[in-house]
Amino acid sequence: MVFNRFFVKEVLRELLSNKVNLFFMVLALTFSLTALNTIYALGKSAEKQILDTLANLNFGKDAALVLAGGGRMMGLATTRTDTLKMEDIKAIERLNFVKIVSPFLGNVLEVNFSGKAEKLRVDGVLPNYLLANNWRVFQGRFFTEREVENYAKVVVLGYEVAKKLGLKKILGEKIKIGGEYFTIIGILEKKGSLGHYPLDERIFVPLTTAQKRLFNVDYLSGFKVVFQEGTDFKQNVNLIREILRSRHKLLEMEPDDFRIITPDMAIERFTKTSRTISAFLLTIALISLVISGVIIMNLMTASVEEKAGIIALRLALGANSHDIIYHYLFSAFLISGISGMVGWLISLLLIKVISLFTPLKPLFSWGTFLLSFGFSFITCIIFSIFPALKASKINPAILLKSL
Amino acid sequence: MSKPLIQLIDIRKKFQSGKITYEVLKGINLEVYMGDFLAIMGPSGGGKSTLLNILGLLDRPDSGLYLFEGREVNTFSEKELSRLRNQKIGFIFQAFHLIPWATALENTLLPALYGGEITKEKIQRAHELLEKLGLGDKKNHKPAELSGGQQQRVAIARALINNPTLLLADEPTGNLDSQSSEEVIKIFENLNKEGLTIIMVTHEREIAQRAKKIKFLKDGKFIED
Repeated sequence: MVFNRFFVKEVLRELLSNKVNLFFMVLALTFSLTALNTIYALGKSAEKQILDTLANLNFGKDAALVLAGGGRMMGLATTRTDTLKMEDIKAIERLNFVKIVSPFLGNVLEVNFSGKAEKLRVDGVLPNYLLANNWRVFQGRFFTEREVENYAKVVVLGYEVAKKLGLKKILGEKIKIGGEYFTIIGILEKKGSLGHYPLDERIFVPLTTAQKRLFNVDYLSGFKVVFQEGTDFKQNVNLIREILRSRHKLLEMEPDDFRIITPDMAIERFTKTSRTISAFLLTIALISLVISGVIIMNLMTASVEEKAGIIALRLALGANSHDIIYHYLFSAFLISGISGMVGWLISLLLIKVISLFTPLKPLFSWGTFLLSFGFSFITCIIFSIFPALKASKINPAILLKSL
Repeated sequence: MSKPLIQLIDIRKKFQSGKITYEVLKGINLEVYMGDFLAIMGPSGGGKSTLLNILGLLDRPDSGLYLFEGREVNTFSEKELSRLRNQKIGFIFQAFHLIPWATALENTLLPALYGGEITKEKIQRAHELLEKLGLGDKKNHKPAELSGGQQQRVAIARALINNPTLLLADEPTGNLDSQSSEEVIKIFENLNKEGLTIIMVTHEREIAQRAKKIKFLKDGKFIED
């Protein structure tokens, strides 16, 4: 095998001797590498954002969400949903490993303000809702125990709702929820979104008000429970499950009429979804990589045919078929390097642009760098084998044509 | 007399074109000794190039025996043939066949690249050869910047870089004007005087006459004159 400065120079100059060909080879590969990198990076950043949001929700290692109605975690309830009552909450509150229990009753209702109507998620909660969810008031205040006791018609807005109404001078104004007028007393700080679920597009009223004035029911949608630190999480969850089952008088063979969602499950669920989407997009990117591979193979084969005379000359001057194969594989290696670099840089730029127009934040990682060069290299080498073999089989006898 | 450098015994070669088979070489017998300067003449289609391809180890005969330095070439592997071409044979072509993007010096060094390493000695030799052939000031010129005669002289330098035993030339003056032709054939004469064995295919009688021996190839066979 020959490898020295002279050889490298020779390969490089042959590549540069047909710049159009080289340009199209790099272009083909750059396209699919850019797609691959961008999808990978955005997938990673979306995943990280979901995890951040979950952490931000203080859905930490010591909290669980209990929803009324049995069934799968994110699906529709498959049992009755009217069995979870305030008495259950009181019973759980008395457990010594429980720090906070924050019940809620929520649904989508029509909300009218300044002549406009919009469907919004309305949640009836207790004052401990903020503490249980690690949330803070941005402007004004949250409602008090007294307001809960009095079925007060007061409302606290999520950040996005407040933004729609105009952030300033809306405290004290009235909005109409399900036909009743409520006074705005506060705005919560921005929380972001959980997957596609916009956390800030909600409004909050006292739980009692929601039960009596808005929905006219005596049950709850669910509750969030935060455990004392240092207690056994699994055991806590099992105990809550047992208590709810016995309080709801469920028989042995009956399924739970509630669902307990733990942070692990939530994280798993969200990452699984985003990974499925990523995997799908990555598959498309990989197919496009194969297509660029075929394009490279074609262009390289054409270039081998164009350079047949020079290849024949090399063979006549003492290069053996291995030297020729090596020459074209090295040539492919150089193309892969150029494309890998260009593809990586363009994808960085693209990620930046995407981050300007979508809530996704760019996530720089050397992973995309390795991905770019790795796939570039593999594609180039695989698809240059055929042209390289073809080059090595050129008959040097074609040099002497003066028969 | 010593053993011949090259010995061809009843060499035959066929080519197929569609359903028709042509017998291009119909039993060639040839002996070439060290220091010979042989010109092969003959009409187009007489098999000159095919014979030169076989002599230069670029092609294999269908039958017959080819001994190079007493060794039977037919038994050699492709790799051994490459090595032999690289070390023992220098090629000169009618169309020069220089690499367009490489300088005169780099073109001269090309066989050295495939012979293993480009050593300081090889680079030194390339400089000396180019100077000897009157191209001292053209070393860094690319083929497109050189005249036909200069290009053929670069090709000669390239053929000589690995110090071969045999120089094979295919119509070396075919693309040159009479002055350049004269220069090239003069170089050949000098190289032969220094001991190099040369086999040259040409159809120019005055060029052929500068060789020590002329053979005529017609319809795949040598004819005695």
